Amino acid sequence: MTTPDTRRAADGTGARPGLLPTASPRQARRMLRRLLRPHRPLAVLSVAALVLGTVAQLAGPPIIGRMVDLIVAGGAAAALVPPVALLAGLAVAQAVLLAAGKALAAQLGESVLAVLRERVMDRALRLPMGRVEQAGSGDVVARVSGDVSVIAKAVREAIPVFAMSGLTVLLTIAGLGALDWRLMLAGLCAVPIQAFALRRYLRATAPVYARERVAEGERAQQLLDSVGGAATVRAFGLSAGHLARVDARSRAAVGLALRANVLRTRFLARLNAAEYVGLAAILVVGFWLVTSDAVSIGTASAAALYFIALFNPINVLLYLFDTVQEAGAGFTRLVGVAEMPPPDDPAEPPAPKGAAVRVRAARYAYTPGHDVLHGVDLDVPAGARVALVGASGAGKTTLAKLAAGVHEPDSGTVEIGGVRLDALGPAATRAQVALVTQEVHVFAGPLAEDLRLARPDADDAALHSALDLVGADAWVRALPDGLDTVVGDGGHRLTATRAQQLALARLALADPPVAVLDEATAEAGSAGARVLEAAADRILAGRTAIVVVHRLTQAATADTVVVLDQGRVVETGTHAELLSSGGTYATLWSAWSTANTQAE
Amino acid sequence: MTADALVDGRPDRVGHEGGDTEAPLGEWTPGAVIRRALRGRRALLSGSAALMVSHQAGEAMVPVLVGVVIDQALGERSTAGLGLGLGALAAAFLLLSFSYKYGSRLGVQAAQYAEHDLRGEVAARVLHPRGGAEDGRTSGALLSVATSDAQRVASVALVVAMSAAAASAFTVAVVSLLLISVPLGLLVVVGLPPVLLLSHLLGRPLERRGRAEQARVARAAGLAADLVRGLRALKGIGAERAAADRYVGASRGSLRATLSAARAEAAVESIAPLTVGAFLALVAYVGGVFAIDERITVGQLISAVGLAQFLTSPMERFAVMRSLYAQVRASAGRVADVLGAPTAVGAGDGSAVPAGARGEVRVDGLHHGALNGLSLHVPAGSLVGVAAPDQAAAAALLDCLGRRCEPASGSVLLDGVPLVGLAPGDAHAAVLIGDHDADLFEGTVRENLAGAADPAEDRAGVRDAAVAAAAVDEVAASLPAGLDTVISERGRSLSGGQRQRVALARALAADPVVLVLHEPTSAIDSVTEARVAEGLRAVRHGRSTVLVTTSPALLAVCDRVVLLDAGTAAAEGTHADLVADDPRYRETVLT
Repeated sequence: MTTPDTRRAADGTGARPGLLPTASPRQARRMLRRLLRPHRPLAVLSVAALVLGTVAQLAGPPIIGRMVDLIVAGGAAAALVPPVALLAGLAVAQAVLLAAGKALAAQLGESVLAVLRERVMDRALRLPMGRVEQAGSGDVVARVSGDVSVIAKAVREAIPVFAMSGLTVLLTIAGLGALDWRLMLAGLCAVPIQAFALRRYLRATAPVYARERVAEGERAQQLLDSVGGAATVRAFGLSAGHLARVDARSRAAVGLALRANVLRTRFLARLNAAEYVGLAAILVVGFWLVTSDAVSIGTASAAALYFIALFNPINVLLYLFDTVQEAGAGFTRLVGVAEMPPPDDPAEPPAPKGAAVRVRAARYAYTPGHDVLHGVDLDVPAGARVALVGASGAGKTTLAKLAAGVHEPDSGTVEIGGVRLDALGPAATRAQVALVTQEVHVFAGPLAEDLRLARPDADDAALHSALDLVGADAWVRALPDGLDTVVGDGGHRLTATRAQQLALARLALADPPVAVLDEATAEAGSAGARVLEAAADRILAGRTAIVVVHRLTQAATADTVVVLDQGRVVETGTHAELLSSGGTYATLWSAWSTANTQAE
Repeated sequence: MTADALVDGRPDRVGHEGGDTEAPLGEWTPGAVIRRALRGRRALLSGSAALMVSHQAGEAMVPVLVGVVIDQALGERSTAGLGLGLGALAAAFLLLSFSYKYGSRLGVQAAQYAEHDLRGEVAARVLHPRGGAEDGRTSGALLSVATSDAQRVASVALVVAMSAAAASAFTVAVVSLLLISVPLGLLVVVGLPPVLLLSHLLGRPLERRGRAEQARVARAAGLAADLVRGLRALKGIGAERAAADRYVGASRGSLRATLSAARAEAAVESIAPLTVGAFLALVAYVGGVFAIDERITVGQLISAVGLAQFLTSPMERFAVMRSLYAQVRASAGRVADVLGAPTAVGAGDGSAVPAGARGEVRVDGLHHGALNGLSLHVPAGSLVGVAAPDQAAAAALLDCLGRRCEPASGSVLLDGVPLVGLAPGDAHAAVLIGDHDADLFEGTVRENLAGAADPAEDRAGVRDAAVAAAAVDEVAASLPAGLDTVISERGRSLSGGQRQRVALARALAADPVVLVLHEPTSAIDSVTEARVAEGLRAVRHGRSTVLVTTSPALLAVCDRVVLLDAGTAAAEGTHADLVADDPRYRETVLT
């Protein structure tokens, strides 16, 4: 048995050529500048508030140092009032300025993120279907949801804290320099150790984190596999094997999590060492400066307090380093999609005359060299219905997709109303022809919104009449909230038949002159299939229709039956003609329903 | 649990030995779940807590020792004092660094092992032969119980260690303050809690608002993934524009909610520095006056201000721990609901499947769900079709035959033995239900076909016959590595029709005494269906088989067909006779 781990690792690391593009660092920087440009005043204001707030924060230790000097000089209690009042005032100023700075920074980051994610989504939705299939829909989902949420989380949590900590560190070092440049140099002794620790940490953890994410993904997959298939596991008595696999994958993830924690604690221990070295250096230099009367005890105290106050921001800064890096990587993946050119839609596409479909010498291969269609011709007169028949793998679905303009033929042409689909462009093609397949998706949200994707301006009456046409109005009205019932992921669950009825209702609302149905009745079981066939029958009335049929009864009602075998058209004719000719179709028909012929 | 686990707290092996070993079923409380997570982890936990305590003690010592160095070395200009002070500081750093490193490792080990154990318990409960845990829960919900909830419950190990640490840090800082000056110490100890409480109370309404808005943000984020998952459907009807517009609307709404949440959060976060900062100014003033009066030294003043600032962290941590523990309890509640879920079927009364079972099935006066006194006879070795226009009645019959439910009344007998008397695992092995949407699992097609079969046993003959009968040979021909092609989780990488054929072959290859198939060809094209019908009949020759279907191609190959109507057997005969004589049957099966 192949071990799942090595298998997936091999998939995960080798970047497949079909994946969506990733931007270069330069492109990413250019995009970032372009996104920030409209918000320049906001950016300036937010940085100013954060700098002033941090300065207020840093003024504390020197003021306490000043108090120490006053006390050492033998001042009166009254002399302490002005510095203490200043201390309190600075606390207020710091709190207010930093809060304002953070709110402004959030506004900046979130606005930029919103524009970026909308653009990415727009491009993702307009990708040609062939491109999506090449990349794998997993890649597309990972960009619009995974990468966007990684960046959103970073913008919300890591980046502001990271930026503030960075600012604090820089200004504190400047503050140390303002006290005395020698004290600052002493403090900087910590830097080489920190740099070394960070380098080692990033280098060691990157592969561990990557493997941990993969292991967690595999663990989740195994749980979904076993738990989702619990009924099957029980029926076949497979639970021992499944629990062993859950155990193994969970253990793998535990091992990596522990390994990551070992690296993390080692890193933190090194940072502790850096803290000690810096602090000790400041105290030694402070001692030397005080004994040589170069600075006061107060100044030396302030320097020590400064340095202690640096522990936290430095740890935060170094700790968040890889989160910020990861967000950067996600950003380049998003920019890669955002910079993809939108599909070419001609400004004034030619108007098709009528709704006849004509396919000529169409060839298509999913992998180069393995043609699925070998030069297919298909003619569907306007308003006629053609049934595509053939065994699995005969090329029915591919031909349907070419006719619907979802894929472009490698060679040959597809025309609707005498206009080639490539001249029409994607948007105008979609106004002419719609495709419904057996892969149903119920969009999460109120049922009415699902339907309105097909026609955003449809009123409730239009929705009800479309539902009525597909025989769904009765059950929709019986739902807890009727059209407003939340369906799809996390909502009211619909059976496969009902989900497919919704897909057909969307087709009715989109109302194109040409409709292509690809086994749109297949996944519903025999009883459901009859409901859907009746619905399809009503919907296709008055349209040019290409139907990839699942049950041969559907072929019998079509104007023309086209039989495909291994990527070629082998028979064309009416149901009666093909039956009497005694060819492939006649054999299929008799094999399919000896029962029907008995009944007749 | 093994002796090994008691010693070092390593995780338990998931799913105990043997397939049918009954994991403990019964009542679970949130408290019991937390105790289960920590079971056998006492050494790890106390080690972690002790080290975290000494880490905090070390942290608290740093400002104190800096004060000492300023007094003894800088104040007195003593090189010996400097050396001594730096040595003491080095010791404090070593202590805090070492303690954190190993305290964290032990704590994380305890948490990770606990999480692993809980995950195993949840998986074992869901897969238990008596079932019931997945009823009313989606697999996504169960996944989140087995991962995020298990993780959160296990984090109780870290909560314990960190609470101990916070308590010790609090104690060390307070004692140090009191040693420096009793009045100053009292000022801090008495004054700081109300100051923190005040900022907490001021922040609370803002926090609530923030949480509500975050929920809105999360809902909007789900839309993008959902739209992309439905991309084919969108493209098929040209709804890309409408979908993009809808996403922009959601994105803008999410932006508004995020910004308002971020503003609330910034305001909340500003309250604590403001009140605490003002309080620290007060401490500095009082300490300064004390220093002028020479009641404390300058170094002690620095220490006192440092300690007062340090104290805010354990105090705030107590508040965080409380809310973390509330989350732990909530997650433990969800885990307890799964572990303690009522079982779908009983344990049986100890009857056994008769040796050399022939596979005669007799259903007598069965009432359950949509079944209304159904009686049915499957003679040993026969192929019986059940045509049920009502899906609910078909589902109820499958559940009763497959021992997936306790029938309301009536009985199902296998060779004269009531099915409800058998242990569920034995019943499943004797009567196998092949659902039309049965799941495949990650692995090769061949591994899937093997099912639970012992790999040592040579069953290639049965398997090859099953592969041919279910037309899986055609599926294999279209896959890159044939039967050795790896399919993804739940068989998602196959089409619906391919999945169904592999699942059917698996059921045939299992070669059970009684095989019950539900719509085994619903996603298979009509040409292949005819071939499958013949193959199925040949493979099951002489073995009892029930086909619950409305497909005429399948019903035509059955020895006898029973029409289910209004939850009872309405007609019986061969397919041809029923087609000729019974209009209800014609309406169900043909048209």
